[in-house]
Amino acid sequence: MSALAAQPDSKMARAMPVARAVGGRLLQALLTVLGISVITWALLPLAPGDPALSLLEARGVKDPTAQQVAALRDELGLDRPLLVQYVEWLGRAVRGDLSLSYKTGQPVLEELGKRLPATLFLAGTSLLIALALAVTGGLLGAAYHERWPDQLVRLLTQVGVSAPAFLLGLLALRFVVVELGIGKVLSGGQWQYVLLPALCLAVSRAADWAQLLRASLLEAMGANYTLVASARGATKLRVLWRYALPNAALPLLTAVGVGIGGLIGGSAIIEAIFTWPGIGSFVFAAISARDFPVVQGFVALIGLSYVTASLLIDLLAVALDPRLRAGGAA
Amino acid sequence: MSLETPLLQQAQPATTPVAPPRGLWARLLRHREAKLGLGLALLLIGLALLGPLLAPFAPDAPNFRAKLEAPSAEHWLGTDQSGRDQLSRVLDAGRRTLGTALLVLGAVFIIGLVLGTIAGMAGGLVDVLLMRVVDVLMALPSIVLAIAIVGVLGPGFQNLVLALVISWWAYYARLARSYVLNARQRPDVIAARLAGIGWGRIMVGHVLPGVAAQLLIVATLDLGSMIAAIAGLSFLGLGVQPPAAEWGAMLADSRLYFTLAPWLLLGPVVPIFLAVIAANLLGNALRDTLDPGRLR
Repeated sequence: MSALAAQPDSKMARAMPVARAVGGRLLQALLTVLGISVITWALLPLAPGDPALSLLEARGVKDPTAQQVAALRDELGLDRPLLVQYVEWLGRAVRGDLSLSYKTGQPVLEELGKRLPATLFLAGTSLLIALALAVTGGLLGAAYHERWPDQLVRLLTQVGVSAPAFLLGLLALRFVVVELGIGKVLSGGQWQYVLLPALCLAVSRAADWAQLLRASLLEAMGANYTLVASARGATKLRVLWRYALPNAALPLLTAVGVGIGGLIGGSAIIEAIFTWPGIGSFVFAAISARDFPVVQGFVALIGLSYVTASLLIDLLAVALDPRLRAGGAA
Repeated sequence: MSLETPLLQQAQPATTPVAPPRGLWARLLRHREAKLGLGLALLLIGLALLGPLLAPFAPDAPNFRAKLEAPSAEHWLGTDQSGRDQLSRVLDAGRRTLGTALLVLGAVFIIGLVLGTIAGMAGGLVDVLLMRVVDVLMALPSIVLAIAIVGVLGPGFQNLVLALVISWWAYYARLARSYVLNARQRPDVIAARLAGIGWGRIMVGHVLPGVAAQLLIVATLDLGSMIAAIAGLSFLGLGVQPPAAEWGAMLADSRLYFTLAPWLLLGPVVPIFLAVIAANLLGNALRDTLDPGRLR
């Protein structure tokens, strides 16, 4: 968070309204992170079983005595008021201590951190694929409005938005990997096997974004500034690329910001299907092992990355759109 | 776009996004995608409701002499690892998957309507607190929160429903609140206030029908992702538990016989896909029909 907070400083000197908007947005993000911490923490008291007992077993104590459990309960403050427990938990969480995994006895953050790169690689590849498909589809649809490429894009996107990623994953695994022998069932996370799971994860978002981009491109093509550009002799392709796309990109950017959450969330199920060694498949293993601190860490990590991503997207939108920089006068 | 919308709202704050209910069906039936979506939805719901009558076999009756049989005249979709008729199971599962989706969305609809209306009408601290909760819930991807809650509470139908409701209602409450806030500025509502009509009657007569229509559009558009979420969670073993048939849980079973019996995979995949398509078509059509703001 500190790097983010430092970033807008240079801008603040330039324009007050922007500084206020950005400051407000940062405060909002901070409050949201605080709220996410409440939800994350609350998962443990919700869980059945005694955390002290599970933790002792995680530390390798076999058949802990009643005194040992009671001592740890005391040490963890499990008998104190919930509010006190939350504040103490938050104090530890801020310092990066999200307790130990019941199963491995290792710090949760370390365990998740080891697997995060694989998830980010999968989600990032998927994001790139989705964006490439969406921009291609949106441009094709707008350039050939009401002609066959447009009809095709509309049909494909309509089908695409209705295809849940895990269904595509299962079908791809059965009919591409097993039948055609492309890729691997147990991928193990090597980079050359990322394309298939990333594509499955990308399809519904690509279709959604392509529909959105097509619609906003068509709207831009009907606006006065594109009419002027055409009147001044710009080719249709140039109008589309140079004038319509930059204006249509902003709604897409906002949608991408919202969609990133779904991308990270959806990657969990795709990871489970393709046995991709990221935090998703790790958390499902943790759920079956009733390893709740890992589940907590998962929620905290995804919540944080989502808040950060949407914050960056909003700041990017301010940087890209002069109308937003004018201090939200509209 | 962002330049035009606020102007438009300023110019006509009285826009009522509610269509006269009399014309709704007529307009829906003129919509090509709506007809397709409606037809598909009716077909799937009909199959799910009549499932027990149509199913050629009992969905959970094992027949160990007919294990993993390929589709045939007797077993249209083949049989599973215990020799149970896959078609009968797909039909039985449909009732459970679709019923759960409707149950969750119904609960989400009511909670969103009530809390959103309270926030919009009460204002002040109640509003601020409720909307902070909404902000936080919306900052977590619904499916992630649902996975975490059901993962912690333990798998099972009740926990699945609970987890989905908790992770889904926030957007509905925010939508209902903003509609109520908007409606309070509308001339018809102000006029009714000035005429001395109480808030209760104004809500019932002028505000709530509009809120309900808005939420209905969103709920229909959401039906697809809800079906996918239920099937997905059950696929992961977090939702409906065996031996009860559910599309996602059946997919999880089919995975064990992946190469041996691919028809077990296709049996549940096709109805899930059709259900999501039907919901999306219907949702888009409803939005076009009920929300003239988007038509223009």
